[in-house]
Amino acid sequence: MERRNFFKITSLAGGGLLLSTYLPLACTTTKESAFDWEPNFFIRIGSDNTVTFICSQSELGQGTSTGLAMVAADELGASMDTLKIEFGQGSAERYGNLQDTGGSNGLRIVWSSLREAMATTRELLIAAAAQKWQIDTDECYCEDGFIHRKNDEEKLAFGDVLDIASTLSAPREIKLKEFGDFKYIGKPIKGPKTRMAVNGTTPYSINMKLPNMLYAAIERCPVWKGSLSSFDASEALKVPGVVEVLEVEPTEVQATDYRGGVRPGVAVLATSTWAAFEGKKALKIEWEMGINGLKSSQDVQKELEDDYKTNSKANVDLQNATALFEGGRKVFSAAYDSPHQANACMEPLNATAYHRGHKVEVWAGTQSPQLTRDRIAELTELPLAAITVNNQPSGGAFGRRYFCDYVEEAVILSEKVRVPVKVTWSREDTFLTSKYHPICKDYWQASLDTNNFPTAIKYRGSISRPGGYRCYPYSVPIAFYDYLKYKDDWLLPRASWRSVYAHPWGLGMECFMDELAHNAQEDPLQFRIKLLENAKIVEQKALPWVGDDFYPEKLKNTLEMVAEKSNWGKKSEGIYQGVSAISYNTSYCSMVADISMTNNQVKVHKVTAVIDCGLAVNPSQVKAQIEGSILWGLSATLKDAITVEHGHVQQSNYDTYDLMRISDAPEIDVHIVESTDTPSGTGEVGVPGVAPAVLNAVYAATGKRIRQLPIRSSLLQSTDS
Amino acid sequence: MKNLKINGQLLQVNADDNMPLLWALRDVMDMTGTKYGCGKGLCGACTVHIDGEAVRSCITPIGALEGKEITTIEGAEGNPILQTVQEAWYHADVPQCGYCQSGQMMSAAALLSKNSDPNDEAINMAMNGNLCRCGTYTRIRKAIKNAADSLDQNNN
Ligand code: FES
Ligand code: FES
Repeated sequence: MERRNFFKITSLAGGGLLLSTYLPLACTTTKESAFDWEPNFFIRIGSDNTVTFICSQSELGQGTSTGLAMVAADELGASMDTLKIEFGQGSAERYGNLQDTGGSNGLRIVWSSLREAMATTRELLIAAAAQKWQIDTDECYCEDGFIHRKNDEEKLAFGDVLDIASTLSAPREIKLKEFGDFKYIGKPIKGPKTRMAVNGTTPYSINMKLPNMLYAAIERCPVWKGSLSSFDASEALKVPGVVEVLEVEPTEVQATDYRGGVRPGVAVLATSTWAAFEGKKALKIEWEMGINGLKSSQDVQKELEDDYKTNSKANVDLQNATALFEGGRKVFSAAYDSPHQANACMEPLNATAYHRGHKVEVWAGTQSPQLTRDRIAELTELPLAAITVNNQPSGGAFGRRYFCDYVEEAVILSEKVRVPVKVTWSREDTFLTSKYHPICKDYWQASLDTNNFPTAIKYRGSISRPGGYRCYPYSVPIAFYDYLKYKDDWLLPRASWRSVYAHPWGLGMECFMDELAHNAQEDPLQFRIKLLENAKIVEQKALPWVGDDFYPEKLKNTLEMVAEKSNWGKKSEGIYQGVSAISYNTSYCSMVADISMTNNQVKVHKVTAVIDCGLAVNPSQVKAQIEGSILWGLSATLKDAITVEHGHVQQSNYDTYDLMRISDAPEIDVHIVESTDTPSGTGEVGVPGVAPAVLNAVYAATGKRIRQLPIRSSLLQSTDS
Repeated sequence: MKNLKINGQLLQVNADDNMPLLWALRDVMDMTGTKYGCGKGLCGACTVHIDGEAVRSCITPIGALEGKEITTIEGAEGNPILQTVQEAWYHADVPQCGYCQSGQMMSAAALLSKNSDPNDEAINMAMNGNLCRCGTYTRIRKAIKNAADSLDQNNN
């Protein structure tokens, strides 16, 4: 039967999806003998009663698929116990342009449209059942995957009414359920995702195997913007299992830097991953290192410092912040350094592509199925309709999988050999030749009143301002200064990294607030609360970039709660505390770190966090996101960083780029603020506050102010406060 | 060609003796529960049991494995401790992306088979070689303790 779109989903200028019912007939398909009803692109109901939720957003481990499935099941009246989950292919036609997952947006952006679609489906099922029973629709309700008759035992399975439901017109008005009617939302439900992970059966793209598929490994140019001079494949071709050795031509980084940026390389195609890796080791390659071959991390740092000296013009000045620095006021300044970082997702980057000449299909764990699809169409010069992007669950992504260079590589190779090709990055590749969170140096200045409280702030971030994120420190007027624009030929190419620029922004802002508090001889936590007491709601829509409004009351509430939960100020001998407070999109998170110091080594004993993320759809997952964010932040604070010598990254595996391990992990205590506001993101708001909370605790313990990451014991020896 | 005993079954593996068990499992035997994370014994994602010991399969060539008992996450059915660990993992809602978790559970099961009541120190020792970028460590610790409790109950 012909596929028809029941709902037309249009993205609105202000964000959000418009779901209009523009065809009277629902879409039905006959697959083999079973009859499937797809009233919209989120759900498929089979005559055998299988209810399949099609998750439009990417599952990266943050639990979006479970959270959205819970929303769908609740609004529809389906059962989570039997609900199946599939992932939607990248498609703007189906999901509007809001499918790509970044900035912790998964739940936030489909919340309303998903609920409307499910409520409509529910009403159609009820109408169909009512017709069958010849009663009024008011007499029926959906629950647990059945349509029930009120005050009666009788019920019909969804599958029993599809013949009628699929012929009905959508109701003109739909009613969304009240919060009190939800059965799953708000509960710590585990979805199929958890079961698969426990059984080891999650279908990551690294597991892909297709008939005739070749396994590829690529030796990439070790210096960004270098080029391939020559290579000798003779030894590689002798390795058992190696089938072919091919050059990979680089692709330019595009204006939006999520696209392109494939490095020049030499690919070994083989009959197993291991044979490809072995063949790669046997390659002999001459590279032309280019200008970056002479540069190291310190050169970039110096570039940032020099640029600060010569180029300092306010480009956004909110509430006349600059003027508030005039008239001989006291000024307090500090600068904070953070290094290049790697995402180091546990599943190394990989993608499988099959280029058949007239069409291309790829399988990849990606945060950006739509952007990737567009990019492949551009790269192969095929129409968008010829490109299929199957979005697999990712073994961690954290921003890196928004960038599609690793998918491009598989497409480039499959185009040459016309069989399916799976490119697997070795762990070394993911450290040595990837894309990275950029090195930053952020300058903060405050003009002070007679009580040493800030009246205005000047902020000069490096490389970028904190984008669309909340960037209004405690509602104090702020001027943003010109920053050094990220350039494609920089020492290392850029990738997003969990919380992106909110990490350097949060590091600076929350350490700076601490410095200001001490300067004003105030308790750092109370100082923040005092600032927020006088703060106004800031409508960020007025800012020159899209942001969410800032509600000081919410941030203040998380601070007050964290003070209580962490026993702020009442710690035992030898334990020191540091605090931070972050807002990111429409979420708020305050945290307190408890540390001790031995021989200039920092030990983090406990982190207490309070998060306001609107309605917590799945509290267990919300807590998991904050726990994970805290460990992420601690790795960046206490463990390793990416450094570059003569263009070459110095860290190649987990021995030189260590992460927090179980013995390092502190006790973590997360509290969620009760709220019925629209759910906001949780994946990133927990990251930016971690480093400052720890650094502020280090100051409390030692009186030494560390302004750079990661903390090294040498810094503690040499730094004077 | 090697005859390997994997999860209680004798299987013919058509691969070079030098091929690490990890890749033989994943690419040759289509058993993808065991994961590649670092290839150097640094992350634990590839952990399997060989004669009951937790071993990093990424640095263990298949040539040396004939006559040994290999257990992977796919072999949980025949391994009550591993099964208990899986259930404890599920109930503590441990996995985030899940990629490291096969290795985590294999390490935990090996620990519990030797130490039925591991304290924090013992957990640190046994689990420190297993990285989790998603940061699930607090739940892993809890799940191991819960698994120890339920194994204890089953034995009483
Ligand atoms: S893949 Fe074997 S220890 Fe990392
Ligand atoms: S759950 Fe993602 S790496 Fe451990």
